[in-house]
Amino acid sequence: MHFLRNDMKIPAIETVALTRLFGESVAVKEVNLRVGAGQFFGFLGPNGAGKSTTIKMLTGLLAPTSGSIRILGEDMRANSADIKRQIGVVPEGMALFGRLTGSEYLRFVGRMYGLDRATTEQRTRELLEFMQLADERKKLVADYSHGMQKKLAMAAAVIHGPRILFLDEPFEGVDAVAAGTLKSMLQRMISRGATVFLTSHVLEIVERLCTHVAIIHRGELVAQGSLEELRAGAGPTGGGANGGQGEGRDRSLEEIFLDIVGTDRAGNRAITAPEQELSWLS
Amino acid sequence: MAELAAVERLAASTRDIPARAQLAAVAWLRWRIFANNMFRRRPATKRQAMGLVAAIALRLTVWPFLASMAVGPVVASGILAWRAIAEGRGPSLIPLLAGIAVLWQFVSVNGLSIATAISNFDPSTLIRFPLRFGRYLVLRTMLGLLTASTIVGCLALLAAAIGIGAADHSLALPAAMVLAVYAAMNIFLTRMIGAWMERWLMNRHFREIFGLLMGLLVVGIQLLNFQRAQMHARGMPNSWLASLISGPEGYLKWLPPGFAGNAILLADHPGAALLQWVGLLASTALFAAVFALRLHKQFLGEYLSEGGAPPRASSAFRVRDNRRPSAGIADCAKQGGLRMAFPPIVAACLRKEWAVLRGSGMQLIRLLIPIVFIIVLNRGVFSRHPAYFLPGAIAYVLAGVMAGLYNIFGADGLGVQIYLLAPVRMRDVIVAKNLTSLALIVVEAGLAWLVVLALTHSPISAGTQISAGLWTVFVIAANLTLGTMRSIQAPRKFDPRRAQIQTRRGTPTDRTSGLLILAVLFGSLVLEIPVTYLSRYFNAPWLGALIFGPLAAGAVLAYVLLLENAEKLMMDHRDVFAEELCKV
Repeated sequence: MHFLRNDMKIPAIETVALTRLFGESVAVKEVNLRVGAGQFFGFLGPNGAGKSTTIKMLTGLLAPTSGSIRILGEDMRANSADIKRQIGVVPEGMALFGRLTGSEYLRFVGRMYGLDRATTEQRTRELLEFMQLADERKKLVADYSHGMQKKLAMAAAVIHGPRILFLDEPFEGVDAVAAGTLKSMLQRMISRGATVFLTSHVLEIVERLCTHVAIIHRGELVAQGSLEELRAGAGPTGGGANGGQGEGRDRSLEEIFLDIVGTDRAGNRAITAPEQELSWLS
Repeated sequence: MAELAAVERLAASTRDIPARAQLAAVAWLRWRIFANNMFRRRPATKRQAMGLVAAIALRLTVWPFLASMAVGPVVASGILAWRAIAEGRGPSLIPLLAGIAVLWQFVSVNGLSIATAISNFDPSTLIRFPLRFGRYLVLRTMLGLLTASTIVGCLALLAAAIGIGAADHSLALPAAMVLAVYAAMNIFLTRMIGAWMERWLMNRHFREIFGLLMGLLVVGIQLLNFQRAQMHARGMPNSWLASLISGPEGYLKWLPPGFAGNAILLADHPGAALLQWVGLLASTALFAAVFALRLHKQFLGEYLSEGGAPPRASSAFRVRDNRRPSAGIADCAKQGGLRMAFPPIVAACLRKEWAVLRGSGMQLIRLLIPIVFIIVLNRGVFSRHPAYFLPGAIAYVLAGVMAGLYNIFGADGLGVQIYLLAPVRMRDVIVAKNLTSLALIVVEAGLAWLVVLALTHSPISAGTQISAGLWTVFVIAANLTLGTMRSIQAPRKFDPRRAQIQTRRGTPTDRTSGLLILAVLFGSLVLEIPVTYLSRYFNAPWLGALIFGPLAAGAVLAYVLLLENAEKLMMDHRDVFAEELCKV
């Protein structure tokens, strides 16, 4: 396990032994996460690893079974309303109101976050322009394409100027143009001191955008640190599944990721060679 | 120091958002959703235009009926309350108030989400915004207040207050105050029941039990109604049932209707009235507290789910399993007896439909309740006219199961794509789905038939039975044909798991299909009755068979022709299919 160094003293996100059970099944197990303020943080893991469950807990949508969450130094359980005002979220299903128009939705969200009418109107206009949705502002959200809905969800997540942005698969099902717009907005936020916490299966994007990464596997945090730190010693045991630290220097995030999650608990590689299985495929 | 500064920064920036702003924002949201639902339509299509015509026809027929259902209890409450006081029968106020509460809660529970369906808005999604719990509680109490149950309940209590005041002016003020609190109690009770039901209905087993209980309740009310009429005819006013219905002196005085009624009636005795007030306020507070307790759990972020854990994808380790590779959809049917009886594709689809069906206990309940109703109806006029009772009973049970024929792809949702992509003929898929539905229909009709034969006082002639049988074949085949056409032309995605929650996606067919089902059933019943009458009048038992035989053969032929053209029909309507079923 690799912990961060040289970060700001008050972490933007900090969890201690964060655990979530669903019945007898453990979705997230004793996760100790530490995200420094101003970091662009990638939260990775295979399908069903516990990423979305963790994000739901960090944003106050799901109560942890045990453990604690501190956002900007505040306890989530005690101050959830204050914390929610400081964060923006693009959740897994986007959670938009389909029977509102795009501009109506942004206006509603702005008012819910306590913005006055004039500020809400101005930010709504600016965000719709930035997201290239100005021409569609009077269209019902239900009639938006998937990419347009993602952009609208992103606009709604930032309309109140959050200090931390949580994004669950923001680039899923988004075309290159829309992805470029989203990335540009995220870079702006980082340059102004905000923290971005995102999950994505597109490892190239994470590698390009994120300064720090954590990997969750089967509900447990198996690696955490800057990209350099991960390259220096990837793997659940810290030494990397493929051996020494030196050769990890030039490896891509995808290789590191596969190295860590592509092994079973005993450290054996689980991904099978194509020639061994599915031999009937032409 | 740095930590302190961070906390100070957070505190400064999170100065409370004015409650008025947030509550106004939610009110505005509801208004916009309502306005957009009313005035903004998606681009019109032929299908939607038909839906609009059906919707207008439905409103023209249903609204006057609903209005009379609302006006009736309100006027009756006012008159009964006035009579109770004016005629010196004050204690009869208590069963009146109990009746209003029961009606209020019953309508509310059964129309739990009519408001949700109309507004397309789930208030529990508000927890993602920076709301404090108090505001969330206020919002959840206020949102959805304009439901039929609340409006009719409040109007009935208002009418009762006016009636009491008109009969005795000195009781006007106490009645107004007490009934206002009583209305609040009912609102909190409704909210409490709604919130807990929302929690429990997430569990499939509970949904099934709830469906059974509601079915039994409806059947029970019918039985009590018959029982009461019989007792009245026999002059047995002192039976247990009579005391249950009209004995408020016992148990009701310890319940909110008793507290409310006695607080009005004892207004001249402040000490005694105060005790009743305490009881009424305590019960209101209790319901509010239990409601708040549930909401607080929701506010803190509880997970509502069918099972223990959210679905988790199989991990890479499972790739190592040496399963026999599948060669396609038909391979599913290669094990078991189905392959012997049906072509492989039909057998595979049948196996899939059976797997879906056996997971639904609710289906069994839906099959049983109409049969119980036939037994109830047998106590009336029908048992004396078995020739009419038989087709009537079959039409009644078929009305409940026909809906499934009109949207055979609806529950598949996105999964329907496999039929479009796999090298299968749609005819085979349709046959499989219809065979599954047909099996249920035959069981249901067969049960109804047996029940009628067992209950009727005189034997039903062979001619009448053959006539009814051919009529049944005609009705089923006609519905199969029309239903399959509508399933392709106007599919509607719906989630059977949420059918009891009654969301927009909770109804299996659209309005046009619903009207078609009724039209076919009642149209054919209207045809059947004169044929039965004429065959009895002319003593020609085979007349029915002569008429319904060709009709049944024609309907079966139409169905076969439809199957032959299923591929083309599907191609012609694939846009509608993709739009409704395949869109995420």
